[in-house]
Amino acid sequence: MKTGQELRAGHVISIDGQPWLIQKAEISRSGRNTAVVKTKLKNLLNGYLTETPYKADDKFEDIVLDRKEVTYSYYADPRYVFVDSDYEQYELDKDELGDMAPYIEDGMDDVCEAVFFEGKVISITPPNSVTREVVYTEPSVRGDTSGKVMKPARLTNGTEIQVSAFVEIGDKIIIDTRTHEYKSRAKD
Amino acid sequence: MTANDLKTWDIFCRVIDNYGDIGVCWRLARQLAHEYPTQVRLWVDELDALIKIWPSAISADQQLLEKVEVCVWHENFDAAVEPADVVVEAFACNLPDSYLTAMKRRAIAPNWFNLEYLSAEDWVEGCHGLLSMHPQLGLKKMFFFPGITTKTGGLIKEARLLEERDQFLANPANRAEFLEYLEIKPAENQLIVSLFGYENTAIASLLDTWIQSPTPVLCLVPASKVLPSINNHLGKALNQGDEHKQGSLRLKVIPFLTQTNYDRLLWACDINFIRGEDSFVRAQWAAKPFIWHIYPQDEGIHMIKLDAFLQDYLKGLSPALQRSITALWHEWNQGVDCSNSWNACLADRQNWQQHGHKWCKSLSSLGDLVSNIVRSCD
Repeated sequence: MKTGQELRAGHVISIDGQPWLIQKAEISRSGRNTAVVKTKLKNLLNGYLTETPYKADDKFEDIVLDRKEVTYSYYADPRYVFVDSDYEQYELDKDELGDMAPYIEDGMDDVCEAVFFEGKVISITPPNSVTREVVYTEPSVRGDTSGKVMKPARLTNGTEIQVSAFVEIGDKIIIDTRTHEYKSRAKD
Repeated sequence: MTANDLKTWDIFCRVIDNYGDIGVCWRLARQLAHEYPTQVRLWVDELDALIKIWPSAISADQQLLEKVEVCVWHENFDAAVEPADVVVEAFACNLPDSYLTAMKRRAIAPNWFNLEYLSAEDWVEGCHGLLSMHPQLGLKKMFFFPGITTKTGGLIKEARLLEERDQFLANPANRAEFLEYLEIKPAENQLIVSLFGYENTAIASLLDTWIQSPTPVLCLVPASKVLPSINNHLGKALNQGDEHKQGSLRLKVIPFLTQTNYDRLLWACDINFIRGEDSFVRAQWAAKPFIWHIYPQDEGIHMIKLDAFLQDYLKGLSPALQRSITALWHEWNQGVDCSNSWNACLADRQNWQQHGHKWCKSLSSLGDLVSNIVRSCD
């Protein structure tokens, strides 16, 4: 069990039987040496985000989630199928892919992390950076090599992303999946 | 739920110490019962605290008082108690487990409020009105913060409070009559000060200043925690009803007053020393100059809260008076010599007094806590 004042960002707690990720926890001292903990929470089952206060002595069951490395295998309409090193398969709907969704494409070999709650996979997280090919973007701007001027580009799976102006069709780019931002061109 | 179809309210109060917890809860209960179509039950764990501020209360497990059903909150809480439509958990006291379970069983979950402590700090606005889901039961509870801005819950103020205050002050005979009830006949041009506070070593400098003051000072001390500090400095053993005269100072120990009479005391005095939360709020509605002895907390947290209030309260005053009031409040709360700051504040008392009216008017425009909490019900 954890008390309200012990909550920290990154903890996963149970609220009404559901797993919630604490994204932020701020403690403010109230009267008579009590405290109020204001949290930002994300429901790991449905992605719902909320701000909610707790008392310092509120009690929570903390949850240790199981995690496994998985890779994307194939799409079986309407489910995305991932597989672990033991060839165990895990199926998710598009809504359940969360941060993974923009990077799914056939043949990808990125090692992702599956998170489980009560034996069921509840999310898939991509690695911090992935490499993807640009299938369409406007022609390069001559002379600009600073990387500060950005333009839209489309990836193989249709995902749109802002890239540096010098990126061309067919280039492979590295993307930071935590911010969904272009980082650089990949070296061949 | 609207103000017209509210039914039952349960207010839970744990008395930590002193009379602030019960003071706030009793006012809340009374105002709800008198001004809204409600049946109000007040659960309090120490009935003696209520009897002290409302002497017509008796030692009984259950009684009807001022339209409020007052019940003693025993450790072994009766599991058969049916929860009300609206539940107020005052000052983060934890509700009995059996009551929580019964709340969960209701077909329609009660409106549940955690009524928090009053603070003027910025973080309060960011927490006021947010819902908190009970970790195990899933019941939703609103964190409700009293406050002095539009983004908070406001302060407790009965519908006719300011009207009654103005009626009292409109006729000097009312003040004379009230003071006579306290067995006091003030002299002409006497500065009348009420002094309600915690233990405080700063009292020594204040008493010495009043003894030597060019203006005669009548100091009315409700029998409270500050009295031993006074006795210690004067070398006396003053008790309720006793009087001490020395130089320009006439000090009288008066009884601990009911809430109604304490309001009159604040109205009747020129300057009020108050403490904690309940008398702090009433002093603001009295619209007189006041000095706040804030409830002391670990690591000096209370001084941050004091300064947060001062930051708002002092707006509109001259820089010099702002400095003087800040110094007086700081020194009073730190228990150090406050003679110079007292004299500086007194020299500008007229502006301080006028400011009290402006401050009260601005607070009044925010709406009162009870109507705000009623509006927050579904």
